[in-house]
Amino acid sequence: MAYITDTLIMPVTGERIQPASDLELARAAAAGDSAAFERLYEQHHRRVYSLCLRMLGNGTHAEDLTQEVFLQVYKKIGSFRGDSAFTTWLHRLTVNQVLMHFRRRGVKLEHTSEEGDFTNVVETPLQSTRRISMVDKLALEKAISQLPPGYRTVFVLHDVEGYEHEEISNLLNVSVGTSKSQLHKARMRLRELLTKR
Amino acid sequence: MVCKECQELLSEYIDGALELGEQVKLERHLGDCEPCRAVRDDLLQIVHFSHQLPMQAPSTALWPRISSDLAELQPSFWSRTLRWLVSFSTLNFNFSVPQLIAGAAVLAIVVSIGVIVSRRDIEQPQLSESAVTFSGVRPLSQTDLQQLEKQITQLSQTVEQRKESWGPELRTAFERNLLYIDQSLVECRHQLHENPADDVSQELMLNAYREKVRLLEGFEKF
Repeated sequence: MAYITDTLIMPVTGERIQPASDLELARAAAAGDSAAFERLYEQHHRRVYSLCLRMLGNGTHAEDLTQEVFLQVYKKIGSFRGDSAFTTWLHRLTVNQVLMHFRRRGVKLEHTSEEGDFTNVVETPLQSTRRISMVDKLALEKAISQLPPGYRTVFVLHDVEGYEHEEISNLLNVSVGTSKSQLHKARMRLRELLTKR
Repeated sequence: MVCKECQELLSEYIDGALELGEQVKLERHLGDCEPCRAVRDDLLQIVHFSHQLPMQAPSTALWPRISSDLAELQPSFWSRTLRWLVSFSTLNFNFSVPQLIAGAAVLAIVVSIGVIVSRRDIEQPQLSESAVTFSGVRPLSQTDLQQLEKQITQLSQTVEQRKESWGPELRTAFERNLLYIDQSLVECRHQLHENPADDVSQELMLNAYREKVRLLEGFEKF
């Protein structure tokens, strides 16, 4: 199934052109067309970088990993057959690269009680009155980057990228219960970080 | 329900994953408890905004770095051929890459056998009188054999490592191809054991070895 990107409007003529689909570009890149590969990069590098950045919490590491991802794409693009959308294939490849990066660095994704248990929250008037403005996107990005890696991974996969707990449990080789528990702890930790601002 | 229990269930409540009974108990508690309602509202905001985070862009220096790395990955003749096969397979044919590779390998072996056998029929008298081999290929020497076996051992080690990341389809295709070639090699060895001077078997063996090297080189890229 081809994934068609947005229609381009030529600046001078106003002519609408349908850009090459990801599948067409992938086929061309697999056949050695470097311009097609560059277009795939142009169309998808922000998405890949954003995912790496949020999962790693560090811009420099995220760029290095984005580079690794696109080198992997270059090597493996011949195996992309268009059975799923290119974005799905690329997304999965990126997540796998991030998880491999964690494994190489010995990052433990499962955290125990030291970071985990939250006592129930007693609301203060200050927190209540500022609740409406509690979350802004910049602050949220910053708070996500401050989460421990295990919480951050599950939170980004579930709440940002829309993965289900079953998928996360398969990806991380943890139980569904662990995934749910880490997600809840991540959200509570974020709340704590955001209310401390 | 106390506040601690309530707050432990809030994420599942927000995600709609609570059983009805628990949901009713939790909502009853929320109705009476301002602090727990505040936590719920905060978590709802976090979840809501997390779905809408904008994409970030890396520095503009990233593409030149990637591009430079790509330039170093100069494809070999065989991988270019593989890429061509891949692009060919994605036209309107329902063949997978492994199937195409399998087809190519089998075709190469069959054509080699066909050509050699047909030429043997034609040139049998001449060959029996001289040591000239087919297609100008010299007989398989012990050094050739050792070199090829060494190359195959090295490639096999790399492929073994790569295999861990392969899907079942690719693995099956590789093993099937390897089996065809190894069977040819066994037959050739058997023939040569019976008749060491059989230059047809020697050439078939040489072809099978080369085919094995090509196969391993091809799959080394996956």
